[in-house]
Order: sequence, then C-alpha cells, then structure tokens
Amino acid sequence: MYAQAFFVAVFGLAAIGFGVVVFRTSSMVRSALALLFSQTAVGCMFLAMQTEFLGVLQIMMMATEMSIMAIFMVMFMMDPGGMGGMDMTHQKRFSIGAGVVAAGVAIVVAFWADWGPVTAEAPDAAMQTRALGIELLGRSMLIFETAGVTILTAMIAATAVAIPVQTTANSADKEDTE
Amino acid sequence: MNFVIVLVALLGSVWLLAVIEGWTTTGRLRLTAPLLSGLAYLGRESIVPRTPDRVFFETAPVLLLIVAVLGAAVLPLAPTLVIADLATGALFINAALAYVLVALIMAGWGPNGAYAMIGGWRFLGQLIAYAMLIVMPITAVAMRAESLVTTVIVGSQDGLWNIVYQPLGFVLFFIAAMALAFRAPFDLPTAPGELGGGVDAEYTGVRLAVLRLARLTLVITLASATTVFYLGGWHGPLLPPWAWSLIKTLAVAVSMLLAGRYLPRIREADLMRWCWILGIPLALLNIIVVGLLVLVVP
Repeated sequence: MYAQAFFVAVFGLAAIGFGVVVFRTSSMVRSALALLFSQTAVGCMFLAMQTEFLGVLQIMMMATEMSIMAIFMVMFMMDPGGMGGMDMTHQKRFSIGAGVVAAGVAIVVAFWADWGPVTAEAPDAAMQTRALGIELLGRSMLIFETAGVTILTAMIAATAVAIPVQTTANSADKEDTE
Repeated sequence: MNFVIVLVALLGSVWLLAVIEGWTTTGRLRLTAPLLSGLAYLGRESIVPRTPDRVFFETAPVLLLIVAVLGAAVLPLAPTLVIADLATGALFINAALAYVLVALIMAGWGPNGAYAMIGGWRFLGQLIAYAMLIVMPITAVAMRAESLVTTVIVGSQDGLWNIVYQPLGFVLFFIAAMALAFRAPFDLPTAPGELGGGVDAEYTGVRLAVLRLARLTLVITLASATTVFYLGGWHGPLLPPWAWSLIKTLAVAVSMLLAGRYLPRIREADLMRWCWILGIPLALLNIIVVGLLVLVVP
C-alpha cells in the first residue's frame, strides 16, 4: 500500500516535472518529447494503480502521437531548434491566470467530488482487459465508433485539402518550371 | 533468476548474430571478432558534434538498448522462463517497440547534423506505416489464443503453429519486423552509401558501440517475437524447450540478415506505398480470415 502510494507520487511528480520542461525549453522537439515523457509518466501511474491495460496502452499510444506532433512543430515553427533566440511564448499574463484558475478548479473537484467507495482490491489484470473489451463492444460502442468515424472523416478531408487542385492554368505553370 | 538467464541468452544470441554477420560480410568465421571490435570502439575517441542537443544525443543509444531489452522481457524462452508474464504481454511488446521510434528521432535530432536528422525523420514515416503491420498481425494471433499473455499464445500453437494457421500474418509480421529493426533492405534511417550512415553518422566510440549493441539486441528481440507469435515458441521434439526457442530465434534472425544481403534497398516512396496500399488491407484481410477460422472451425 505504501509502496503503491510512493510510486504513484514519484510518477506523478515526474509527469509534472516533464510538463514544466515542455514550457521551459525553446526547442520544439525537446518540448514535444518532454510532453511524451510526461504522458509516459501518467501511463506509469496507471501501472502503479494496478490498471495494467490502460497503463500499457497509454505508454504505447503516446510514443507515436507525440513523435508525429514533433515533426509538425518542426515543419511549422520558424525556429524549431530554439537556437535562434526567438521568444516562443505569448499572452503570458492571460496564460498564468488561466493556469491558476484551472489548477484551482481541479483541486476543488478532487477534494469535493463524491468518488464513491474505493475498491478494496483491484481485479486481476486479465479480468480487467476482458471487462474493458466487453465495455468497449457494449455500452460504449456507439461513443467510440462515432469518435473513430469522426477522426477518419477529418483525416480524409485533410488529405483532400492537401492535394493540389489540377487546373489547366497551374498544370501549365508546372510544365514551365520543370 | 529468470532475469539473469534471459539476459545471458539475449547477450549470447547477440554475440552469435554478430559473428554470423561478420562471417557473411568478410567470409571469415571469427568467434572473437564482435568482442574485439567492441573493445576497439571503447578505445576510440567519442566525439560530440558542435552545438548538439546533448540530452537527446546521450539518451538515444541507451534508450534504444533499454526498449529492446524491455521487449524481450515479456517473451518466454520456456513455459516458466520469462522475466514478466504480463496479462497484457502482446500489447506490452508493442508499447516497448514504439519507443524505438522515439530513440531514433532523438538520435537524429540530437547531433545537429543534416544526414542524421533526415535519417531520424525518415524512420518516423517508416515506423508509422509499419507499426500497423506489427500490431494488426499480433491482433490476429491474440484472437486465436483468446489472450494477450505470451505464454498462452505459445500454448495455443500446440499442434498447429501460427505460421501454418495464419501464413499471411506471418509474412506481414516478418517484413514489418525487418522494417522496425531497420535492417536492409529497409535500412533507410542509416542508409550507408546514401545518407552516410544517417542516424549513426555522428556517433563514434563508446556511444556507437552502445548503438550497435542496441540494434543487434532489437533484431534478436524481434526474431524472438516472431518465434513466440508464429513459430510455436518452445514447442519441438527431443531438445529442451529453451533450446528450441533459441534455435528458432537465431534462425529467424539469420534469415533477416540473409534477406537483407540479397535484396537492394527499397526507395522510401515505394516502402510507404506498399505498406499503406497493399500491406494494411492484407493485414485486415488476415484478421477477417482468422476471425472466421476461430469462429467457424471447432
């Protein structure tokens, strides 16, 4: 019990620490990977709380997601390595205010919400995986399928937007440049 | 105790693979060559490039080694010889291998060099495509075993190995494993002769030694995963279970090596196109076929 609390605290602090690094660095890749390791620490918190499937899934998903985010940040930012001395922050006062308010709300919810009775003993990991599978293919199926189809639609739309429209005018331009 | 045995087996396999690799390239069988070249690396100067991202530069080789060993931790050599028999073993190995990508991006970005950076980002595209061909065939394997536990997966192949039960899944997984381990003909992130070493380019001395060790360990881990998921793991006559696991793992690793020696490097665009247009539909087909087999065949 104490060991569990200890590890949850250690990974929680690591998550916050990496979260701070996200904003303390000017390098976009460092920032993205710091966010990745912050999320990995959250995954480790799941593991420490004996929710094996969710923990492993979190650790797996974040690796590719944050890496993709890193390359997009490199593509779109003017100083991706942070070596040009550009100030990457803006709206500082507003963001400090928003951060403090959000943290306050989170703390209030954490202490005042009725979390229900705490489970004395977590079911074993295989049972959890099974229960999760039945939940995903039962009551929650509509929610996840809707989300999945929405994301797929967005991906197809984004790809369609990215493909240049071929008109007679710009195909002539292309031949000229070639 | 299991931890020590598996680690020794892993190191031994890496050494044998390095010996065989040297044998196929130089034509001479020298058992001490990997040790001597390892020692030579330690003796050389380990250069740090100008204005590197020092954290990434130092972390990348070590991270690659750690994820390769973590992946091997859930793969059983024998019914009880496994470091961690997790309830989510088949998912855990995916989670560990996803960080190969992170390590390579770090190795690419860290040294502040053009070739390294191109190599690192190239691997991003390569892995995002081929990770699907790792995950989807494993899904079909888990469907047959009705479990994510790796020892149960091997148990489910008693009598009929998955290479026979789902040959399409095996072919896709084998190709994807080679792409994930960035072995030739999928060695686009390093691409000797084209990118001047790519992610390896700026690494020298002890750091390069760790990187090379990590890469060979990754090959063995993936060969072991192929054995566990498709070649019946420890099943086999006469010899003890662990011996079968090791023999099959080495055979898969050597076949990856040979495939790389006789095939030219694939163009990046072709690599992506084949995966997204051909590989992923085939992986989906494999899931459907296995699903039908599981539900229809008693």
